[in-house]
Amino acid sequence: MNWEFLWKLVLIFTFSTYSILVVIVFFGGLKNIVDMLKDLKMPDNNS
Amino acid sequence: MDVFYTNFGTIDWIIVLVYICIPVVIGILVRKYIKQMSDFIVAGRSLRLFIAIATMTGTELGLVTVMYNAEMGFLHGFSAFHIAIIEFSCILAIGLTGFIVYKLRQLRVMTIPEFYEKRFGRKTRIVGGTILALGGILNMGLFLQAGARFMMGVTGYGNEAAELFMSVMLIMVLVYTVLGGMVSVVINDFIQFIVLSIGMLIGSYFIIDTIGWGNLFDIPLTIDADSWFNPLAEGSELGPIYVIFMVVLSLSAGALWQSGTLRALSAKSPKVAKQLYAWSSISYMARRVIPMFWGIAAFVFVSQMPQFLAAFQGTDAISSQFGMPIFIGMVIPSGFLGLLCAGMFAAFMSTHDSYLLSWSSVITQDIVAPLKKGILSDKMRLLITRICIVSIGLFLLIWGLWFEAPVSLWNYMAVTGTIYLAGAFTVIVAGLYWKKASTTGAMIALFAGLLAILGIGPWTQGDNVSWYLTDKFIALMTFIIAFLGMVVGSYLFPDKQQPEEAGK
Repeated sequence: MNWEFLWKLVLIFTFSTYSILVVIVFFGGLKNIVDMLKDLKMPDNNS
Repeated sequence: MDVFYTNFGTIDWIIVLVYICIPVVIGILVRKYIKQMSDFIVAGRSLRLFIAIATMTGTELGLVTVMYNAEMGFLHGFSAFHIAIIEFSCILAIGLTGFIVYKLRQLRVMTIPEFYEKRFGRKTRIVGGTILALGGILNMGLFLQAGARFMMGVTGYGNEAAELFMSVMLIMVLVYTVLGGMVSVVINDFIQFIVLSIGMLIGSYFIIDTIGWGNLFDIPLTIDADSWFNPLAEGSELGPIYVIFMVVLSLSAGALWQSGTLRALSAKSPKVAKQLYAWSSISYMARRVIPMFWGIAAFVFVSQMPQFLAAFQGTDAISSQFGMPIFIGMVIPSGFLGLLCAGMFAAFMSTHDSYLLSWSSVITQDIVAPLKKGILSDKMRLLITRICIVSIGLFLLIWGLWFEAPVSLWNYMAVTGTIYLAGAFTVIVAGLYWKKASTTGAMIALFAGLLAILGIGPWTQGDNVSWYLTDKFIALMTFIIAFLGMVVGSYLFPDKQQPEEAGK
């Protein structure tokens, strides 16, 4: 088994997928925060 | 060049100081949204997917995480990456199957010991809650110390200044956690996730630019080539027992580490809880791989400079935890170093706030409330939780600044985590998926977890430790004994009647 090749792949995979995740979470998270605060303002938010 | 030379300058201090004021302001602004206990602990169970991912990553990617993973990379090279692969696989599997977390979220519990009561009765909840709080607070004990060492390495300042800075940071964390609870925690975690992630990715660019992509994979002359890449290599300090222990630890901690699980319990629905884990598998991998990569690069850098290598060897050697912070203080330019440190402070704060909230809510909900005969009002629970947060914070300050772990940072974390996880994993899995699981079996499993504390005893240290006295073997055996205790206890002492229908 070529460990060096495996760990190179792991590094590239991690950097690329994590970069994409950060972008997705940034835009999705902003919308989520607004919705969460709206939920908490409503009187029956724990049903 | 001095070992503690750094690019960290005035502009970097300004960036960090401005940044750390933001969470306090948010804590004060969102206080109006906290009306009841569930708002405080699980944000009214209103977390949607993306904010849940950010807050889960913000919690599980702390400065201490960066430190112990960087140390693993510094000491073991690329072979440490196996932990990242295992953790990624376990979290993804939990996300795809909903193993444990889906059912727990369905049951609408706020803490894990709350499930103990639903399934095994009140005494189990109190015992489980006490062991959880004990293991959890001990586990958190060295966070401050690791943070101080990071600051010392990056800024080039002495130990005294770092202690003072960490004390100030802890006070700020206490203020906004007490004020805002989970709502302020999740908003801050979101900001911190973004800042830290960008900092880590750009920081990695500078590191690759300095060392060179090809040079990163050149094995340092002082290192055994096989062990540098292969965790199962003969002569590796890791080895098969360690790898098996990592599998068990990653699966149990992934599903049941209270601060992370709290995010699943805060999710809008059981389906979101599942999705949260599937998506977060990427950030769980990144929280391991990127700091380990920094640690590897730090060792490659150090090994090219004899005077630096000498500083990490011999009787007066600097702790290997300093390898990564000293390295990034030298190779990352001023200005950006401030942004990166702000991100690391963010990691420090987001982990502390969540852990403080987790353990204090366990003490309130699972120890104090069940012990009290009368019903505790929400107002009283909030007050007790806030008192606990401050008390734990003060304990951490004293423990973190004065206590030195007898073993390495990651070993200490893994073993103290096992105190809780060995029992909890067994009890929760059996409680959810095995109808014959009994209260006696659960109690045996929970108490068995305490055996893990043997894994940080003096007999685990030294060069010629027998395999059965190593910390990894003791911790792995703790899981096995807890499991056997549950099975044997349940068959020998079955429950006459199950307390509730939970888990069926």
